[in-house]
Amino acid sequence: MPAEEMGKLSRGIRLAFAISSVVFVAVLAISPVKDLRREWKQYKRAYVRFAQTRADTKRLLADYHSDIDQIWIPSMNVVDRCTSCHQGITLPSLADRAVPQPFRAHPPIPHRPKEWGCTVCHRGQGPATEVAEAHETTLAWEQPMLANRFIQASCGTCHRADLPETPKLNRGRQLLAELHCVGCHRLQDVERPAMLGPDLTNIGTKVTREWIYKWLKEPQTLTDKDGNVTVNGYETEEEPRMPKFRLTEQELRSLSAYLSTLRSKPVEAVRFDPRVVAALAKKPDVAQQGEVRFRQMFCSTCHSLAVTRAGETKLIGGDIGPELTKVGSKVNADWLAAWLRNPQSYLAHSKMPRYQWSDEDLYTVTQYIRTNLTDSDLLSNVPQLGAAAPEEIQAGRRLFLEKGCASCHAIEGISPQRDFGPDLSALGAKNVSELEFGRATIPRSLVSYIQAKLTNPVSVNPAARMPQYALNAADLDALTTALLSMTGSSAPSGMQKLMIPRKDAAFHPAGAFGEVYERYKCYACHKFNGYGGDLAPDLSYEGSRATRPWLVDFLKNPQTLRPTLVLRMPQFNMSDKEAGILADYFGMALQNPDVNPASLDARLFTPQIAALGKQLYEVKFQCQACHTIGNSGGYVGPNLTNAGSWLTRAWIAAWLKNPQALVPDTIEPRRSFTENEIKALTAYLLTLRQSGKAQPKTAQREALRGAPERAGE
Amino acid sequence: MRMRASLAALLLAVLAGLSACGKKGGTTKEDGLRRAYDSEPDWNDAQHIVALGYQEAQGKRIFYAQCVWCHADATPAGPSNRSNVTPTPPLMNDGAVLNAESDEYVQNIITLGGSAMGKSPMMPPYGRVLSEEDVRAVIAFTRAIAQPAYQIPARPGAKFPAK
Repeated sequence: MPAEEMGKLSRGIRLAFAISSVVFVAVLAISPVKDLRREWKQYKRAYVRFAQTRADTKRLLADYHSDIDQIWIPSMNVVDRCTSCHQGITLPSLADRAVPQPFRAHPPIPHRPKEWGCTVCHRGQGPATEVAEAHETTLAWEQPMLANRFIQASCGTCHRADLPETPKLNRGRQLLAELHCVGCHRLQDVERPAMLGPDLTNIGTKVTREWIYKWLKEPQTLTDKDGNVTVNGYETEEEPRMPKFRLTEQELRSLSAYLSTLRSKPVEAVRFDPRVVAALAKKPDVAQQGEVRFRQMFCSTCHSLAVTRAGETKLIGGDIGPELTKVGSKVNADWLAAWLRNPQSYLAHSKMPRYQWSDEDLYTVTQYIRTNLTDSDLLSNVPQLGAAAPEEIQAGRRLFLEKGCASCHAIEGISPQRDFGPDLSALGAKNVSELEFGRATIPRSLVSYIQAKLTNPVSVNPAARMPQYALNAADLDALTTALLSMTGSSAPSGMQKLMIPRKDAAFHPAGAFGEVYERYKCYACHKFNGYGGDLAPDLSYEGSRATRPWLVDFLKNPQTLRPTLVLRMPQFNMSDKEAGILADYFGMALQNPDVNPASLDARLFTPQIAALGKQLYEVKFQCQACHTIGNSGGYVGPNLTNAGSWLTRAWIAAWLKNPQALVPDTIEPRRSFTENEIKALTAYLLTLRQSGKAQPKTAQREALRGAPERAGE
Repeated sequence: MRMRASLAALLLAVLAGLSACGKKGGTTKEDGLRRAYDSEPDWNDAQHIVALGYQEAQGKRIFYAQCVWCHADATPAGPSNRSNVTPTPPLMNDGAVLNAESDEYVQNIITLGGSAMGKSPMMPPYGRVLSEEDVRAVIAFTRAIAQPAYQIPARPGAKFPAK
C-alpha cells in the first residue's frame, strides 16, 4: 500500500488500531499473570519468605524448588500434590505449634509421609492444586478430607486387626460388635455371632407379659442430656445391648401378648431334697445365707448389682452377663432355679457356666435373689394387660418380623432375617450425594450424617426402622470412626492389596477337656491360643507356667493373685476329677516351646544361690516396688508369696529372660539380667511358699504321686 | 457512684456464680474421659480438659498401661501403688518437679531405670519394652499435662525455639 494512501486513513481508525493492540497485549498477559498468582505458587513464595525469618533458612530451603511437588506412588494410585503447599511436613524444626500452617511439620507417626502419601490417611483430593478442591467437597469431588478426630478410621482401612495405637477405632469396632449392628447390617469384617439377642422360643416361661411390655417400652436404659447412661436408674459405663424401639401402645400390647405366649417347652422345676428345704425353710436368715454364697461364688465377676455407697448408687461388677439388681422381680421362681442349675437347657448359647450346686446352695441363692434383688415398683406403671387375645398374638407375630426383632432374636419356627438394614460395609467411601438427609438441618457431610443417624435415627429419616441407641460423646465418635474405616472394595486408593486381614481362631476342643471347658465356659474370660475373652489371663501357656498341684488347688478354690482386682475367678465347686482333667490338659497341651523344663537342673538351686537371689530381689532390683511377698511390697504385679508352689522353675527363668516373649502385653519390664542373676532369682522365688497354711491336701497327694515340679526344696 | 460500682460488682459476682454452676452441671464422667483418647482432664482441675496431639495421645495410652500404677494417685484398677514405693515417685503431672528436667534426662531415666541414673532402683528400666518413640510419646504426654505448665526451653542463640 502506498504511503500517501496510508495517510488517507482517518485518525479514528488509527486510534482504534492502537487501542485494540494494547488490549490484545493486555489480554495475552492475563494468563501468565493469573498463572503467577495461582494459590499454590503464592504458598510457595510465602514459604520462602517464612524460611527467611528463621534461623535455619538454609536447611529449610535445601529441597525447595518453585514447581509443583508431588508424591507419586503408582502401586497405591497415590498422586498427592499436598506438599506443594505443606512444604515443611518432613522438617523436624517446624514441629512447633507456633509455626503457621500450611508449613508445620507432620507429627511423628509410624508411616513416613514421603512413602505413603497424604490422602491414604487424610483422604481429600490428592492431585488438586487449589485449597478448596483438595480439602473439601466440591461440585467435582465428593470425598472431603477426614477430620483429625476420626483419623484412626484410615488406619482401619488397611489394618483390619486391632492396633494398640488406635484405641478409638478399636473401641468403635468393639461397639459395632457389642451393639449387635451386624444383626441388621452387613459390615466389613464383622462376623455374625452364634447368638445376638437371647433366643425367645420359651420366653413365656421366664417372664410375664407385663414385664415384656415394660422392657419394650423402656429397655433398662436411660440417657441424660450429658450422655451419661443409666441402667434401671443406676449409673454405668456399659452400653446397653437392647436398644429402644419406638413402639405405640397398641404395638406394645401386641408384641407382649405374642411373646408371653411363647412357651413350647415347660420349665422343669428343680426338685430340691425335701430335708434340705425343711431345714432351711425354718431359718429366718436364708436370704442372707444365699447372699454370702452369691458373693463367695463371685457372681459379680460377670453380673453387676447396684450398690449405694456414701449416698451414691453405682453398679458394681462385671458386664459379661446382665445386671441383676431387680432380677427377682423379673423372672419366675421355677425358671430361676432351673436356669441356675443348667443355663444351657434354656439357652443353648448362653455363656453362663454350669456350676456344681449343692441343693442347699441352690436353694439359698434362689431365695436371696427372690427376696433381696427385687423392686416392688418395677411394674407399677404398666397397665393391667390380662390374658393375650388371639388377634393381639397375631399382630404381635407380624410386628416381630416388621420391626426387625428376628434379626437379633431367634424363635423356633421363625426364620431369621438377614440384611434387614442397609449394607454398611462400604459406608466410609460413600459420596454425599448418595445419602438421604430428609429435612434435617445438619451439614451435608458423611460424618454429620452418621452421627445424626446414630444419635437419633428418625432425625434424617422419619420412617427409619433403626432403634434408638444411647451413646455418650466419646462412644459416638469411636463408632463413627469404625464406620468410616469400612470402605469396602471401593477403597479410595489401590489399598485393597495392602489389607492386613483379621484372624479369629475358634478353639473348641473335644474330649474330656472339651466337656469341662464348655461346662465352665473358660473362654468367656480366658484366651486359649488366640480365642476367648480378655477379662482374665491368657492361658495358652498355662501348662508351662503353673505346677499341677497348684493348678488343681486353684481351680477348686480360686483366690486372686492380684490384690487390685475387683473381678475374680468364680467358685465353680469343681470336682477333683474335673480340676484334674483341666490341669492334665494344661500340662499336656498348653505349653510354650521356649520354656524347657529340662534346661534347668533342680540341683543348681542351692540355698547359697537362693540367698544371693534374695539379695538381688530386695536390694539391687528392688522387685518389692511392684510385687508382694508376705505382708509387704507393691501390688502392681502378682503376689509372689507362694511363687515356689505356683510357678515352674523353667517358667520363672524364661520369664525373667523375656516376659514379653511369653505374654506379649505384660507390663513387667524386660530387663537385662545376667544368666547368673536369673539363676539366683529363680532359686530365691522357688523357696517362697505360703506359710501359716497347712500344705493343701491335693498338693500332698501330688507329692506322693511324685509330681515333677518340686525343685528348690 | 460507689453504689453503682458495688451494684455492678454484685451483678458480676452473681453472673460468675451462675456460669460456674452451669459448668458443674455439664461435667462428663471420669470414665468417659479416659475413653477420650485424644484429651486428658487436668489432674488438679477436672473441668480443664487438655487436648492431646497424636504423639501425646500415644503417650497417654502407654502411660495408662505402664506408668500409671506408681506415678498417679488414681489408676484404672482403683488404688495406686504409689504409697508402697519409697521414695515416693513424683506424680507425672507434677511440673514443679519434672519441668526442670530436660527431655534427655527423662528419656534416660525411663530407658535405663533409676539405679543407672543414681536414683531409686524401684524405677525399673523400660528400654527393652518401650521403643525410643514410645518413651518420647510418654514424655510429650507428661509435658502436656504438667501443672504448672511446661515451657519449651529456648536453645541458647536460637531465634525461634525449636523442639
